[in-house]
Amino acid sequence: MEGRIIVVTSGKGGVGKTTATASIGAALALEGKRVAVIDMDIGLRNLDVVLGLENRIVFNIVDVVNGRCNLRQAAIRDRRIENLFLVPASQSDNKDVLTTAGVDRAAKQLRKEFDYVIMDSPAGIERGFENSVTAADEAIVVCTPDVSSIRDADRVIGLLYSRSITPRLVVNRIIPEMVAKGDMLSHEDVMEVLSIDLAGLVPMDEQVVIATNTGMPLVLQNDSKAGQAFRRIARRLNGEPDLPVEVPSVKGGMWNRFTQKLGLK
Amino acid sequence: MILEDAPPVKLKGVGDGFWVTLDPSRSEELLKNEMTKLFERLRHLAINARVVIDVGDAQGGDELVNTLGGFLKEQFDVGVVTRPPEKRVIPVERIRQRDLSQGWTHRRSDVLMLRGRVRSGQNIEAKKHLIITGDVNPGAQIIAGGDVLVMGRLLGQVHAGRPDNDDAMVLALDFRPTQVKIGEHVAAGLGGKTDSGVEFASVVNGAILVQDYLKSNPFGRIPWPEVI
Repeated sequence: MEGRIIVVTSGKGGVGKTTATASIGAALALEGKRVAVIDMDIGLRNLDVVLGLENRIVFNIVDVVNGRCNLRQAAIRDRRIENLFLVPASQSDNKDVLTTAGVDRAAKQLRKEFDYVIMDSPAGIERGFENSVTAADEAIVVCTPDVSSIRDADRVIGLLYSRSITPRLVVNRIIPEMVAKGDMLSHEDVMEVLSIDLAGLVPMDEQVVIATNTGMPLVLQNDSKAGQAFRRIARRLNGEPDLPVEVPSVKGGMWNRFTQKLGLK
Repeated sequence: MILEDAPPVKLKGVGDGFWVTLDPSRSEELLKNEMTKLFERLRHLAINARVVIDVGDAQGGDELVNTLGGFLKEQFDVGVVTRPPEKRVIPVERIRQRDLSQGWTHRRSDVLMLRGRVRSGQNIEAKKHLIITGDVNPGAQIIAGGDVLVMGRLLGQVHAGRPDNDDAMVLALDFRPTQVKIGEHVAAGLGGKTDSGVEFASVVNGAILVQDYLKSNPFGRIPWPEVI
């Protein structure tokens, strides 16, 4: 069976596309799938840093597309998570070195080699975005609960629909305390405007900063709420679409409240 | 409306005669000169021809037509000179009778009707009226030559009555647009309210006014359904 290509995009920058790509990719690999995460942000590569694989880069996606190396040479295998591979971006070129035809050719090969190919799209809706979505079968749109991010996500959703790609939404960086006070848009407010299928809700989590800086995959940390949310998103993508969406809330579950009272936490 | 550079006299052949269209705001002398130029070219064709002089609905049109008719008869030996025949006006009763017997089943409408969500960055333009059954997101732009009706949330930019129809209106079930234009009028920063009901915007005394639909029913004044 051929693999699925999923593009992670948002329109706006800095909403967590790269973190989402790394986390969902790692989580799918933990589910036992063969996964490639591909950094399509040519010229501004980040995904390698987030995954802690920066020092092992030899070839990159531009080399693969332009035939300077083959896919196996460019794909870096993660040593902590089996079946997780990274194809990094080039840091010296710009977005115009890739063409959609070239990406389509490389995508054909990627589909044969992997069960899931997660493409990390750059911000914006120009050439880099076009190259990222050209071969995609599915899309995940990441947005944060603020007005400008929603506006951009809405535009991107329109562009994806015009290419017959049905996107799914990840609302990132939800701060339940602020939502409860009415200072932040709730995920219902976001859904009201965007009205697409929800892939998952991810709470704000300090662990993301630590994981990004240390290059330790978020999903390997069991105490990370965001990491757990991304693991559930991966399960929804991987044949469990009905897994209930957990809404980040102020109060924890029964057990948390119990342990808090006892002073254990 | 007559443009500055439009010729003051236009001549065209109609059946067995000529149809002369005049700009009555110009001087009689100028009109005579212009007519002379045109009729000189016709030569013998003008002799005994039937001439209709069309001065529009201008005041004192009859007098002007008589003077110019006399001038033409004298100079070019034309035949009968008349004003254009009056257009037939259908009496209101006849229209209502026709509407009562579902006269509008034969009418073709220019209304553009869309279903679904209009997203940020999308532009929708309708020649005449526009109806959207769905929401219009912020960042979307909808433009119509006539009215705009949104059966849902209106959060984007809207322009009704483009380019200069101030009689157009915008109606939405949830009226919270980022900007409204009607004809040549602009209003920004409306909205914010969420608990109000159906609202509509129209031009009142040269400014855009948003009113509650049920409280000031804009169509209540029209006693009979009419085709728009």
